[in-house]
Amino acid sequence: MVSLDPQVWIAAFLTIAATSYAFRDNRVFKLAENTFIGVAAGHQIVMGVKNIRDYGWSHLAQGEMIYIVVFLLGVLLYARYSKEYYWLYRYPIAFLVGNGVGISIRAGIHSDFIVQIAQTATPLVASDAMGTINNIITFVGVITALSHFIFTYESVHQGTLGWGPKIGRWMILLALGASFGNTVMTRFGMYQGRVVFLLREWLQII
Amino acid sequence: MDYRRDIPLAITFIVGVIAVLDYYTTFESVTNTFTVIKNWGVVLQAFALGLGAVNLFRIHGKRISERTRDDWMFSGWLLLMLVLFVVVGLGTGQYDASTSYQWIYNSLFLPLGATMYSSLAFYMAYGSYKVLRARNFEAALLFITAVLVIIGNTPIFPATFPVFFHIREWIFGPIVSGAYRGIRIGVGIGAVVLGIRTLVGLETGYLGRR
Amino acid sequence: MSIWEKLTSIPREVIMGLVVIAILIPALNPLGLPLMVGSMSENWYDTVDSLPAGSIVLFDIGYGSGGYPSLGPGNIAAFHQMFAKNLRIVMMATALEGSMMYPLIMAGVKPESNYGAVYGEDYIFLGYIAGGQTAMAGVLGDLKSLVSSDYNGNPISGYSIMDNVGGADDIDLVAYMTTSGDTAEGWVYQAYSQYNRALLGGCLSMMTTSIKPYYDSGQLLGIMDGIKGAADLEFLTGHPGDAIVSSDILSFTQTLVLIFILVGNVAFWMQKGGGK
Repeated sequence: MVSLDPQVWIAAFLTIAATSYAFRDNRVFKLAENTFIGVAAGHQIVMGVKNIRDYGWSHLAQGEMIYIVVFLLGVLLYARYSKEYYWLYRYPIAFLVGNGVGISIRAGIHSDFIVQIAQTATPLVASDAMGTINNIITFVGVITALSHFIFTYESVHQGTLGWGPKIGRWMILLALGASFGNTVMTRFGMYQGRVVFLLREWLQII
Repeated sequence: MDYRRDIPLAITFIVGVIAVLDYYTTFESVTNTFTVIKNWGVVLQAFALGLGAVNLFRIHGKRISERTRDDWMFSGWLLLMLVLFVVVGLGTGQYDASTSYQWIYNSLFLPLGATMYSSLAFYMAYGSYKVLRARNFEAALLFITAVLVIIGNTPIFPATFPVFFHIREWIFGPIVSGAYRGIRIGVGIGAVVLGIRTLVGLETGYLGRR
Repeated sequence: MSIWEKLTSIPREVIMGLVVIAILIPALNPLGLPLMVGSMSENWYDTVDSLPAGSIVLFDIGYGSGGYPSLGPGNIAAFHQMFAKNLRIVMMATALEGSMMYPLIMAGVKPESNYGAVYGEDYIFLGYIAGGQTAMAGVLGDLKSLVSSDYNGNPISGYSIMDNVGGADDIDLVAYMTTSGDTAEGWVYQAYSQYNRALLGGCLSMMTTSIKPYYDSGQLLGIMDGIKGAADLEFLTGHPGDAIVSSDILSFTQTLVLIFILVGNVAFWMQKGGGK
């Protein structure tokens, strides 16, 4: 028995419309595409206004008048659309960039650099032969993959020394193959959800 | 001093340095200042969420006013959907917690969002058929691990021959760990260098046009 | 046109039609194949299992409609485990659509009827907080100076769960599920590097390779690896759902992809060999 819920029918129509592009470009897909862009932008505005209320206006209402400056900076973001006053946009963006960069680099040094190197600099010999082999492969993989990205000195990629970056390239290709395999599963895993929706909630045959 | 350029660069430097100092020091004044900066950052990011919509209005408004080919009708539809979401979302005062808003989200945004990203599955299948070839040694390396991981991810194969599960686990062990750790260290170095260059004013792309 | 030339030039519509059939057949006739649980999912499960009742978990719903088919089932399974263990969950969303996922997840978990959980005592949802890593740093640094109300606009001071949650020191475990690489990295930077919190990460399968270094180095204690990880969690927690249902569909579709790869390569090499 097919669903009588209008929400399910709209969702089913849009699902089929969005899928139709896989076969060929068509106006129904264009309708779905433009709907998607419009609703995504609308949702952004709704969430933006809500966040301004919850994290900005609430502070002003509590008497923190300094938040007037924050609101002013927020409004200045829209100066980017003015030819004459474009430069005003730089003040809030400078704040956001400084904040974002500062927050990410301070911990990035620890997480992406120090901890990773420490993990690599552990004993290669494990309690069993397979563990030792795995540790050696990992260690070789890290060093050679890193050497592959040294472009400052050409000599690193030449002669006997060039074997390091070459093996690194092979290790990266092996890892990218694994990533591709996972990507196939990701996409099919996503799409099966839509098919199950169509069969279960729309057509109600499973 | 060029107030249109130097002051923003100074703001970037000061805010960034306070963020870094907060991590490496325990001075209460630094922690309190950074707490204020973080709270301000959340509000500013919220303001930035509207930038996309403004851009859409400018581009699609122009298409509608110029009646560009057939596109202007789709542009009109796009802006209508945008306005619908804003009116319903802001109109009830409950924003995303409103049942009306959840209704239109579940009808329009959810199916489209889920399908747009997932319909790439068809292209994965077609791409695998057309492009994934073991043409040479290096392509064969990528091919081998791709095929072994796909086999390991396909439930019927590990269920029948458990060795495929262990092969997949092993590939994700030393092979993936080794190569991606190297990539991660490289990315980390690059990100830190770029960050420091941004803070000291050597990277000014974010300031936009002169 | 030789057979090999024909096999290398099968029309796109035929390929895609076969994919549709490969999805429909197992959806209509499930096989019910056994599951082999991966070590990353097992470690996720064990980490949550090791927490004593009453522990505070900060959970980030960092995905939206695009990630819901893969991560939604895993999120539901993860919450089943947390509610069953009487953990107290402070939920937030760093993804724009995360707050729209919340009602869908809660409809799947039904914490009140299944576990007797009470909103505001056992769990709370703070809603979407803009800013990405800024939001993470803000919540972990001084939550009450940033957040004053929950998703419904009610003051958090009125909820007992928030009485003793001021920041990272009061949080026993941070967990996230996301489709964004920036979010996945961001939580490692903020929760682990800055505050040394126990951290669990859930992401799409295609992101697993890039966050695996964090798991290997102990920064992440477990990874829920896309739809496969979601199926593992559903199995481990004893709440079979859409992820396990998807296993059969994945069996058919991925086998089809393997056949395509085989046909494409055999035809390519036979054509090349015949051309010499």
